[in-house]
Amino acid sequence: MAIDYAVPEDKRALYWLGDKLIEHRNPVMILVLLVTGLFAYWSFQLRLVTSFGDLLPQSHAFVKIHNKYSGTFGGANNIVVMMEVKEGTIFTKENLTKIFKMTDGMDTVYGVNHNQIESIGHRTVRHLRVAAGGTLRAEPVMLRAPQSQEEVEEIRRIVHNAENIYGLIVSLDDKAAILRANFIEGRLDYKRIFDEVNEKVIEPYEDENTALYVAGEPRLYGWVYRYAGDVFWILVVTYCIEWVLRWMYFHDWRGALRPTLTGVIAAFWGLGFVYLIGLALDPLMLVMPFLITARAVSHAIQMHDRYYEEFEKCGWNKRRAIVAAFAELFVPTFSGVVTDALGVLVIVLVPVIMLQKLAITASFWILAITVSEMLLNPIVYFYLKPPEPELVVLRERGGFRKGIERFTHVLMSPLGKRVTIATWIGAVVIALYFVRGLTIGDPTAASPLVWLDSPYNVSHTAIQERFGGVEPLIVVAEGFDKDAMKDPQSLRTMEKFQRHLERDPDVGYSFSLADIIRAVNGVFHELEPKWRVIPDSWTDIGGLFFIFFSGSPPTETAKYVDPSYTTAHVTFFLKNHQGDTIRRVIARCEKFIAENPMDKAAFKLAGGLIGVLAAANQELVRNDVLMNFLGFFTVWVILVFTYRSFSCGLYLLGPLICSNIIVNAYMAARNIGINIHTLPLVTVGVGFGIDYGLYIVSRVIEEIRIRGDLTDSVREALVTSGKAVTFTAVTMIVSTAFWISSNIRFNAEMGLLLAIWMAISYVGSQTLLPVSILLFKPKFIMNEATYSQDQARAAAQRA
Amino acid sequence: MELNIWNSVAIVLGFSLLVVALDEYVAKPWRHKRWERRAQSGDKEAQELLRVARSAKVVDE
Repeated sequence: MAIDYAVPEDKRALYWLGDKLIEHRNPVMILVLLVTGLFAYWSFQLRLVTSFGDLLPQSHAFVKIHNKYSGTFGGANNIVVMMEVKEGTIFTKENLTKIFKMTDGMDTVYGVNHNQIESIGHRTVRHLRVAAGGTLRAEPVMLRAPQSQEEVEEIRRIVHNAENIYGLIVSLDDKAAILRANFIEGRLDYKRIFDEVNEKVIEPYEDENTALYVAGEPRLYGWVYRYAGDVFWILVVTYCIEWVLRWMYFHDWRGALRPTLTGVIAAFWGLGFVYLIGLALDPLMLVMPFLITARAVSHAIQMHDRYYEEFEKCGWNKRRAIVAAFAELFVPTFSGVVTDALGVLVIVLVPVIMLQKLAITASFWILAITVSEMLLNPIVYFYLKPPEPELVVLRERGGFRKGIERFTHVLMSPLGKRVTIATWIGAVVIALYFVRGLTIGDPTAASPLVWLDSPYNVSHTAIQERFGGVEPLIVVAEGFDKDAMKDPQSLRTMEKFQRHLERDPDVGYSFSLADIIRAVNGVFHELEPKWRVIPDSWTDIGGLFFIFFSGSPPTETAKYVDPSYTTAHVTFFLKNHQGDTIRRVIARCEKFIAENPMDKAAFKLAGGLIGVLAAANQELVRNDVLMNFLGFFTVWVILVFTYRSFSCGLYLLGPLICSNIIVNAYMAARNIGINIHTLPLVTVGVGFGIDYGLYIVSRVIEEIRIRGDLTDSVREALVTSGKAVTFTAVTMIVSTAFWISSNIRFNAEMGLLLAIWMAISYVGSQTLLPVSILLFKPKFIMNEATYSQDQARAAAQRA
Repeated sequence: MELNIWNSVAIVLGFSLLVVALDEYVAKPWRHKRWERRAQSGDKEAQELLRVARSAKVVDE
């Protein structure tokens, strides 16, 4: 069937395209279904995996140092277990046996670095003993579980006299001991590590008198994986509620089904693509697929609403109605999809592999909406039975429509316009005040990924309170030549560095090669305190190192210094990883390093969890403003192409920028920092708010061509497209807000944040945007007012 | 109850079918009767809307 009826001249090509899609429906449908089937197969191959390396900005100098030395000096992935006894002390046969067996258990957990376990029950934690003949030997504190009370007392004596153990691995009141294990980054299987730690280290040893607390990044991610099953509950509840909402809105099950098809097809394409490019799903990124699917569903709702409207307008001709809905909504739908896709793509600028992969997959996923929504849409409608005219007629006179009409009437009154402008100005001014508190990095000491009262945060707090600090910052002292670490000036600078930074209230304690040399020198001189100093000559230092390390294999000594004594490290244990703490400590390190150069070595920042978080935070600071700018600029460029007007961007971006400021203020007020996990979701929010405005503005242009009057056109746009926008906003908000029930605090907070964002963007598109259009009468809309007359004149001239 | 991908899919499919069935066999007849009653009781708007709907000739080709 050709387009042999009157259609808008400038949209004739779109009408033709819609009609051709229906004409060639079978091959198009088969092709799309085949490709979708393939993507669906790939989707089911996806697994939940977090790659730690992908979370780091690999090009950052800190991360390069971290990668170079994490295998020997310790990485960012430590598990810390604290055993605390309620009655008595840990120095009983039973308790020390537990520590020994727990340590043994930890040594068999998958992925553990066997040479980087610290516990009084591990071979690598040694003390100096004067042997027969006056020689000194570095021996493990415990070679076996104590067999008698005498052995227990001997262990207590050793611990109380060892500077590297007492207060650091065993608490000063003897009631708690620490077991710290580092995990190899290439072998991080969080779920397996979580289960094995429970099975081998925790469950067999917990009893009424013994409390065990476990913290550290691998444990935290283990909990996140354990809670990830929540997603299915959220999926099911959200799906059911969305179906009911759509059914109530359309008064027809087809209205509930059609957007589901769009969402499912786009989801298969998106998830399949994730698998195809070799990615996995991160449990902390599960909100993102929901958000994109909700986006796809909301476009489908717009189309379905328009189809019903056109069905009545086109004299109940199904095919014409389908084609008209397709052609009339093509521009706002396509612009919305492209804006969303390119808006997300700007994340690719952040040099973090995970974010770059996420940007590419999210963009592809969003672009896939064009297939499910635009290519397939006319065909699916054609296959479905048309709605009953009674249903179409009656739903247009329902309470929802009447409510929207009343609201529009109030909004467009002189008072309504003044109140709207005043409210938005007030809200933005208040938001600008609060937005100053927005933090880069984590704003609290507890992990923001899980709830404050979660087992993880309870453990984390308990360990911090008793031992001061568990978050390592590793500063490498890289020598220029062999034996640089035997140089007294190098060692003294390292010691000075420790004392300097320990003055910071958030640095719990520190450790370096200087501590070892002072302890060995003291023992070598019959524990006289005056000898607990760094010797003046490198030969003396070399001799003392020989005494301490001679009985240990190189794999054990490597965690302190490399075999050629070229490179060592100073490790600081911080009490938290708050963004402000990290920034301040790193700044202090940089200042000290600049003011205290070493002759034979140089300090290099920084490894450990604090080092890599500092790198990530620095990259985020560097890119945050740029990404926001590029996000808005991309939206503006697409708007320029869509409406062929430079000023249209101001009208559509105005509400978006206001929403952005308010949401950032909300984040600051709720202590939600910008970090590697929140950044992509926040960036996605920037682009997603624009879609509501696109539908409104497109409809205003469409109506002004027919009516010629701006006020009437804006009113009609608000009660038709605005009605659908209101409903899509409700569905978007519902689909993200249900995440609030998640056990993963991050997902819950992000779900709520995005729901609030959607709500503010929606309110902006329904109030600020139309009022601005009415007040300023933009040229790109007003020029269309004479469209009908121009068309008639052109037709007359042709005739 | 622990949900996984398969029982989640089963629940949402079952729910969808339930909504379709309820819509076709319960909601639509009920809504139709309600408007009929309103029209019979002299509601001018309901009479007009039903007249428009009944006079509509659907072209489905």
